[in-house]
Parts: sequence; structure tokens; C-alpha cells
Amino acid sequence: MTESKKYLSVKLRNEYQCLTLGMMKEQLKLSELNGLVKKTVVEAFTAPVWVIGEISELKTNRSGHCYLNLIEKEENGDAIVAQARATIWSYTFRMLRPYFESTTGQQLTEGLKVLVSVSVEFHELYGYSLNIRDIDPTYTLGDMARRRREIIARLRSEGVAEMNKELELPLVPQKIAIISSATAAGYQDFVDQLTNNQAGYHFELKLFPAIMQGNQAESSIIGALEQIYLYENFFDAVVIIRGGGSQADLSCFDNYNLAYYITQFPMPVITGIGHEKDDSIVDLVAHTRLKTPTAVAEFLITGVAQFDAQLDELKNRFIKTITEIITDSKNNIEQIIKVIAPVTREKISKVNSRLNQTVWKFDNSVKLFVKNQDYRLKRKEEIVQNEFKNFTQQQIRLLEKRVRKVSGTLRQNAVTNHDKLSRKITKSENLIRIKLSDSRHLLDLLFQKAMLTDPDKILARGYSITTYNGKALKDTDLVNPMALIETRLYKGHIISEVKETIKKI
Amino acid sequence: MSINRKNLSYKDAITEIDEILSQLENNELDVDELSEKVKRVSQLVTLCKEKLHHTEQEVDKILKEMDI
Repeated sequence: MTESKKYLSVKLRNEYQCLTLGMMKEQLKLSELNGLVKKTVVEAFTAPVWVIGEISELKTNRSGHCYLNLIEKEENGDAIVAQARATIWSYTFRMLRPYFESTTGQQLTEGLKVLVSVSVEFHELYGYSLNIRDIDPTYTLGDMARRRREIIARLRSEGVAEMNKELELPLVPQKIAIISSATAAGYQDFVDQLTNNQAGYHFELKLFPAIMQGNQAESSIIGALEQIYLYENFFDAVVIIRGGGSQADLSCFDNYNLAYYITQFPMPVITGIGHEKDDSIVDLVAHTRLKTPTAVAEFLITGVAQFDAQLDELKNRFIKTITEIITDSKNNIEQIIKVIAPVTREKISKVNSRLNQTVWKFDNSVKLFVKNQDYRLKRKEEIVQNEFKNFTQQQIRLLEKRVRKVSGTLRQNAVTNHDKLSRKITKSENLIRIKLSDSRHLLDLLFQKAMLTDPDKILARGYSITTYNGKALKDTDLVNPMALIETRLYKGHIISEVKETIKKI
Repeated sequence: MSINRKNLSYKDAITEIDEILSQLENNELDVDELSEKVKRVSQLVTLCKEKLHHTEQEVDKILKEMDI
């Protein structure tokens, strides 16, 4: 390289001198000038040159030729400091492209930095261009690796690299937002796999279509994520999948902006972007990184199945425990019954025998007592009978004695009283006889006297009785003039009015 | 206490079943509570199973709204 560079610089200097000479001589037509430039360029670059450039544009036409634009950017900046058109003829391109892509695992596309072997060309009409003859993929690999390292370092230094991993994936991820190209075979397989899973788990799948490769992938995928973000509380997880298998372009997943967006995303992101060898940066920051869409589907189904199994396990343990508790309780009761029955029987028989014994004892003692009492009663009866007999005889004797005494006294008293009475009767008879004759005499006297004081007899002798208000009038003060007074005569009455009263002095 | 299907969280369900189970296994439950707990666990398991295998109307509705 250094040799050819030295050679180049010498040659360039010579050409320049020629050109200067020509210009000095005469006026040139543009074609002549361009021809001169072409001649100079051809002479200056007799051999291909290895040059580093970034592909800013890349197109292939129908005949398979590839047209590119190479640029060089300012270091630590985006300003373009050099630019050149380039071509890869179809014959070369057919070999170079697979070689490059199989080595790098990376599509030959815009944005890549490449080390290419070029022949420098100049055409009078089309001007300056580079014809690419060879490519060194290891340079691109190195450059990509360096860029990757830089992005990873940046995400780490910002402290965001692990943020999506720290989110909790729901126990049962059933509501899945899918970012994929709608037409990708991988997407359809993924949907089929989840929809027709053997266990019949139900998944809610919603596609948010995006471009999954090339330069537009970054903004397209971020756009899809923004859409999903509107349903933050609805989805359990986001799945980013891409048709697997081919050595597809991974560079769009080594993108800082996309990776950063994912780290800040509020729900777990699961990737299955179908790359066998390397993890992209998106893979690195994702919550869970899987190689293929199939693996993602498997992962989701397994997650649900694990929960299902856990549920079954808990259920079975629950049933087992409940059954055990019931069996234990039953056994306990049976055990208790087993123990209680004999113990009770024993107790009963003990009590029974004691009772019998007591009854027997009681019976005996009652008999004995009754016998005793009976004997004592008989004894008492005898005593009482004897005493009663004695007492009665004594009393009889006493009574007889008293009767004898009383009848003697009575007889004596009767004789005495009889004499006294006879005497009193005689005396009374005499007294009564005397009293009777006195009374008869007095009666005769009274009769004669009564005969003289009879009012009729007095009236017959000419006396009259004057009454006022039915009463005998004995004083003139008792009547007033005009009073009606009645005068009773021996024969008949006179009613008269008082004219005057004359008081007797 | 009552969980209907709409707001049943798998995590809550499994936590509750787990709690009941450990209460059972540690003999912390009264025999009288058993039938209630059996009912509860069976309800939770059924709801989970149902949710694992079938679409929820509410979810369908939201998904349809996204397409508008």
C-alpha cells in the first residue's frame, strides 16, 4: 500500500505538470479537457485502490448493476466532507453481495461503512466515479462491532440498559401486541402457533405492522411502539418478531434510538428477530430475547402452561389436604368411639355392681333394722301393756275409794237438807196464808173508793168538763177570746166560742 | 372478597389459593370453615381456567376499538 501510494503521488505530480503545460498553450473544448482529465486519471490510477466509505445510497437496476453513493462524514459529526458515485457491475455484484452478507450477517445497504477496492474512473459525460471490484467485509464487521460497543456503552452509562428487564412479565401473558411485517411468514406461523396451541389456551393477539429491515425500520418500529403505548394497560407484553432463517439485516436493531425507546417502554418487550449468531442491541435491552418467532410463541405458551400447572398443583394439593383432614377427622371420631365404648361399658358395669352391692347391703341392713325394731316394739308393747294394766288398776282403786267417800257425804247431806226444807216449807205456808187475807181486805176498800171517783158518776151529779184542743181546760190563761172550746156534760157536748176570760184571783 | 371474571387477576387468585392451602396445611382453619373455603378455591380455579381458555368480551371489544 505504501509503495503504491508513493508511486501514485509521483505520478500525480507529473500529470499535473502536463495539464498545466497544456492549459498554458491554448483554449480547450470541454470534451478535450474532460478527455485530458480522463487520461490523467487513468494514468494516475493504474491499479485499484482500497478506500473506506459509507454507503449513503444503493440501487440495483434490472440488469443487476449496482449504483451507489459513497460518502465520508466528519469525525464526531454528521457533516459530509467527501462524496463519490460508485458502481458494481452485475457480474461482480452477484459474487460480492452474498460474500459480504454471509460474512457480516448483514445486508449490503445504506448506512454501512465499507472497505472497497475501487478503480478510479472518469467519463467525459458522466464525470468521476469509482468502480468497485472487491470488498473487505471484515472492515464492516469491525466497524459495526465498534458502533455496537459504543451504543451499548452509551445505554449502560445512561443507566437504562436493564430497565425493560426490570419490568415484571405478567404471570399469564395472554394479551400480546405484535410488531412485525404483516406479510412475513414468521408472523403467520407465530399467530398459528399461538392460536392452535395444544392445550387450547386463549391468546389475544394484535398486530401493529412495521417495516422490519432497512433504514426505515427504526422509525417504523418506534411508531408501532407508540401506538401500543396508547394501550399500555391492556397488553401484557410486546413481541417484536421477524421472519426467521435468512441472513437478514440486523443493523436496524443495533440502533440507539430504537434500543433507548425499548428501555423506556412500560411493558415487557420480547424479541424473536430471527438471528442465529449475534444478539442485536434491541435483543440486549429487551425483557426477554429469543431467537425465532417460534421460540417466542413457545415461551408464551409455556408461561401460560406453567401457570396452569401451578394452578392444578395447588388444586390437587388442596383436594389432597381437604381429603386428609376429612379422613383424619373421621378416624379421630372412630378412634374416640372405639375408646369410649369399652370404657363406658366398664364404667357402667362397675357402677352396676356397686349398685347391686349397695342394694344387697341395704336390703340386709333394712331387714336387720326391721327385725330389731320389731323386737324392740314388742318389748315396749309388753312394758306399756303392763304399765297400763298397773295404772288402770290403781286408778280404779282410787276411783272406787273416792266414790265410796262421796256417796257417804251425799247421803248425810241429803238427810240434813230434807229436814231444813220441810221446816222452811211449813213456815212459808203460814206466811202466805196471812198475806192472802190482808190483800183481800185491801182490795175491797180500793173498790169502793174507785166507785166514787168515776167521771160519769161525777157528771151525773151535774159537773161538766171543758176541753180545749182535746185537753181538760183548768186555767183561763190557756184560752184566748174567739177560741172554740168543748164542754162535756153527763149527756151530750156543747161547742162554744170564748167571749171573755176572767182570771180567778 | 368477591372476584368476578372481569377483574380477576391470576396473581391474586393464585396467592389466595396458596394462602388458603397453607392455612389448611398448618391446621389454622376451623373445620366449620372448610366448606366455605372449598367453595372459594373451586370458584377461583374455575374462573382462572375459564379465563385461560376463553375470550373475554371486554377484551374483544377493546381489540375491535383499536382497528377503528
